[in-house]
Amino acid sequence: MATITRRQVGDALAQQGILIAFAVFMVAFTLANPRFLEVDNVFSVVRSSAILGIMALGVTFVVISGNLDLSVGSMMSFSTIVVLDLHDQIGPLLAIPAMFAMTLCLGALIGFLVGYLRLNSLIVTLGMLSAIHGLTLTYSGGQNMDIADKEGTWFGVFGQGFALGIPVPILIFVALAALLGLVLARTPFGRKVYAVGGNSAAATFSGIRRGRTVFVCYLLSAACVATAGLIQASRSLGSQNTVGQGLELEVLAAVILGGASLMGGSGTIFKTVIGVLILGFIQNGLLLIGLPFYVQFVVTWIIIILAVWLDIAAKRGRLWSPIA
Amino acid sequence: MRPGALSKALKGGAIWGFIVLELIFFSIAGEMVSLSDKAFMDWDNMLLLLKQSAPIGIIAMGMTLVMVNGNIDLSVGAIFAIAAIVLLDSMTWPIFAGLGDRAIPVAWLLALATGTALGALNGLIVWKTGVDAFIVTLGAMLGFRGFVFMFNGENPTSHLNWTLVDFAEAQVLGLHTATWFLLGATLAVWFLMARTVHGRNAYAIGDNREAAVNAGIRVGRHMTINFAIIGFLAALSAVVFYSESGSVNPNDGQLYELWVITAVVLGGTKITGGAGNVIGTLGGVIAIQLLRKGLGHVGADTSTVNLVIGLILIAVLILDRQLNVKGKEALKI
Amino acid sequence: MKLRTILATTSAALALAGAASAETMKIGITQNNVGVDSYQTTYEKAFIAAAEANDAVETVVLDAGGDVARQIAQVEDLIQQEVDAIIIWPTNGEAVIPAVRKAHQAGIAVIVTNSNIAEPGFDFVKSFSGPDNITQGARSAEIMCDKFKEMGVENEAKVVHITGQPGYTTAIERAKGFEDRLPEVCPNVSIVDTQPGDWNREKSQTVMEAFLVKYDDIDGVYAGDDNMGVGALNAAKAAGRDGIIFVGATNFAVGYEAMQAGDYWGSIYQSPVDDAEAALQTAIDVLKGEEVPFLNYFDTPKITQENLDEFSKPVF
Repeated sequence: MATITRRQVGDALAQQGILIAFAVFMVAFTLANPRFLEVDNVFSVVRSSAILGIMALGVTFVVISGNLDLSVGSMMSFSTIVVLDLHDQIGPLLAIPAMFAMTLCLGALIGFLVGYLRLNSLIVTLGMLSAIHGLTLTYSGGQNMDIADKEGTWFGVFGQGFALGIPVPILIFVALAALLGLVLARTPFGRKVYAVGGNSAAATFSGIRRGRTVFVCYLLSAACVATAGLIQASRSLGSQNTVGQGLELEVLAAVILGGASLMGGSGTIFKTVIGVLILGFIQNGLLLIGLPFYVQFVVTWIIIILAVWLDIAAKRGRLWSPIA
Repeated sequence: MRPGALSKALKGGAIWGFIVLELIFFSIAGEMVSLSDKAFMDWDNMLLLLKQSAPIGIIAMGMTLVMVNGNIDLSVGAIFAIAAIVLLDSMTWPIFAGLGDRAIPVAWLLALATGTALGALNGLIVWKTGVDAFIVTLGAMLGFRGFVFMFNGENPTSHLNWTLVDFAEAQVLGLHTATWFLLGATLAVWFLMARTVHGRNAYAIGDNREAAVNAGIRVGRHMTINFAIIGFLAALSAVVFYSESGSVNPNDGQLYELWVITAVVLGGTKITGGAGNVIGTLGGVIAIQLLRKGLGHVGADTSTVNLVIGLILIAVLILDRQLNVKGKEALKI
Repeated sequence: MKLRTILATTSAALALAGAASAETMKIGITQNNVGVDSYQTTYEKAFIAAAEANDAVETVVLDAGGDVARQIAQVEDLIQQEVDAIIIWPTNGEAVIPAVRKAHQAGIAVIVTNSNIAEPGFDFVKSFSGPDNITQGARSAEIMCDKFKEMGVENEAKVVHITGQPGYTTAIERAKGFEDRLPEVCPNVSIVDTQPGDWNREKSQTVMEAFLVKYDDIDGVYAGDDNMGVGALNAAKAAGRDGIIFVGATNFAVGYEAMQAGDYWGSIYQSPVDDAEAALQTAIDVLKGEEVPFLNYFDTPKITQENLDEFSKPVF
């Protein structure tokens, strides 16, 4: 009995390890600096994490379906620049759907290449990372994009507004997380995503169209990126061409931290959100206790590996890999 | 002729065919629009091409080995920067003050040892924890970059030593120092992969890891050695490059992992492992550098360069898939 | 083509004889990172426009994309193409020195633009053309101090400092100019924190958000350029913190607008068009054999809400 209990405790630890780690961090940082848990600071962290978080929601679908998306950073720069430019050309009301349409086209292209042509997603999205950056520079002519009349537009509401006393980006993030969490956990489509990522061949035999499922995952990812771009643009009402550069790896780190396996087939939206919050609070907490920003790189490295390791160790029932 | 032999030959030669195409295109386009009076295919220009391919190229040789092995290493850019810091900073350490210029080889060895150790650390983590190499090295990419910053804050680390610069700029038998190192690394990794048991095992493990385990190959140890090798080569690349430039910014080497992977894939290595060789990789590295050089030669701007390189990568993947389908090869991509 | 080759050969021969002024001058430029911000993009456009307007020059325009290795390769390419002069906008003020020496040894005149290289490389360079960044930093300190005196807070004010990209000469010089000058004019103002914003508006916004949580009392922000200054301003606005004095450098259009709106106090007026034209002119003067000062600064005046009308809005 005792052994079973210990095993169960170990399992629980490993499965909820990420939550426990999160709690430990929060307590430690709060002890170090009481301001850490003040409402203002919490809002500030979640609001800054919202952009990364919304992108991570989409990438969670892609990763569960057994693929990767390295193009989300470039694509976010693209959406931001496009919506800012169109804002002054055709007005915000038309600019937003137009930007979503253009970003979804890019997502559809990637979805087609990876889903239907079955090309390797790492290389396709690596190529798109570079190509979309080139596209953005061509579109903007390399200039910063700024809204001319910053005071007279309502466009800032997505990034700077408040509703019910809560910053709008947080509301969008929470709403999208709830929606996509439901889609993934409670709909036939969600089950297909797990099936395709868990065992592609078996999924095909059981009548699931792999190509279409993967295609839709990339569309979802692009939609999330467009939303993130919208918030980014609205937050500063102007942007450089490189605003999303490097975000793809941070997004991936958050998704992995949440426990989604890169082999596909596992992960949940809730855990991704926890992964995003951990990254955000670590960054903020280290700054608050006066450490330079790069310390977070080292801390992130250690927790990513520990988190994934514990997860794997729980599944195989032993800490160290048996391979010689 | 075995089925698929033709497509295999086509694929093997494809990257060199592509290089020839690039040369023809840039020569003609260069004649028309470039203001340079020298032809693009000038001998000295081609020698420079090889030299300029060295920083990415030397790392790419290690990446070929690791990718054939079924793994990937995203931390090479950060290892490159750490090795550069060790190289430049160690020459100023008081304990070596008495050595004069003899501190140079000591600094080289220290830098190479650092790179090898960091690579081996990645390998050990992959081996002992069983965590996927992509995740381990993605984490290491962040963590090692953090070390780079911790060393000297956000300031560059500099030490300009003209003896070292003169050595790095030297040309022996017409080839630049960096080119010799690139060719040496290529030859050494080629020998390792094509002529040794270790090399055969690398392919076997990448092809089917479980079968390799069942066949009694010590997979974990094998992979750790390969990670140590790529760490060594990333450091070697830094040693060669920073001997000539004498100052490293903490952000140097960022995105190198992506360029290296691009070159390796262009050279025909399968990202899922089991297939690929360093000669193809050399072709991939040269093709990219040629593209950069050529686009600069004809006056293309940054946006075009990014666009073209991205699209070519995807086009190669599609082409590769078509050839595979026709040759009925069961290679997974 | 052949004709041009012959022309070029003769011109080279003539140049050896010291009389090349009538021939076209070939000038190559390798820039730092075009497209990363509007200043650099506008600079490139202005440079190309100025070169096209001048029949006496032909130019090769390259961009290093922020990568030192690529910049060194581009210098080598330009040497190989036998240009008469190389203008370099260094990605790293020290790492490019050996490449610059190589150009110098090949008999090519090297002109550094915008951001200077480190001192060991001065021997290999004909001239530096660009802004005087130490003076700029000092002027920003004066703008800030004058405003504090006007507000009567010069004995208690606390300032945070957001610097440009670490290791970049412009960032180092502006920071030095500011940090040296501020205690001279306002000895009781303290700089409470310094963090890099990497010339990036979003990064600067994030840095400022952290400052605002960390310090209850911030009276002034000095940013290494307006792009970052506006990022910091956005953070302050979002947090509802009023009354902070923002001073930047390299007046961007966004900074100019923020000054018009009364949110942003002052900056340094520096035109990328002047910068590009000065670099090209310096190269031409050097090739013509004219006397050129080694540090060839163009003027960058103070701009604040008070004298805003004297300047036209920057185009970038």
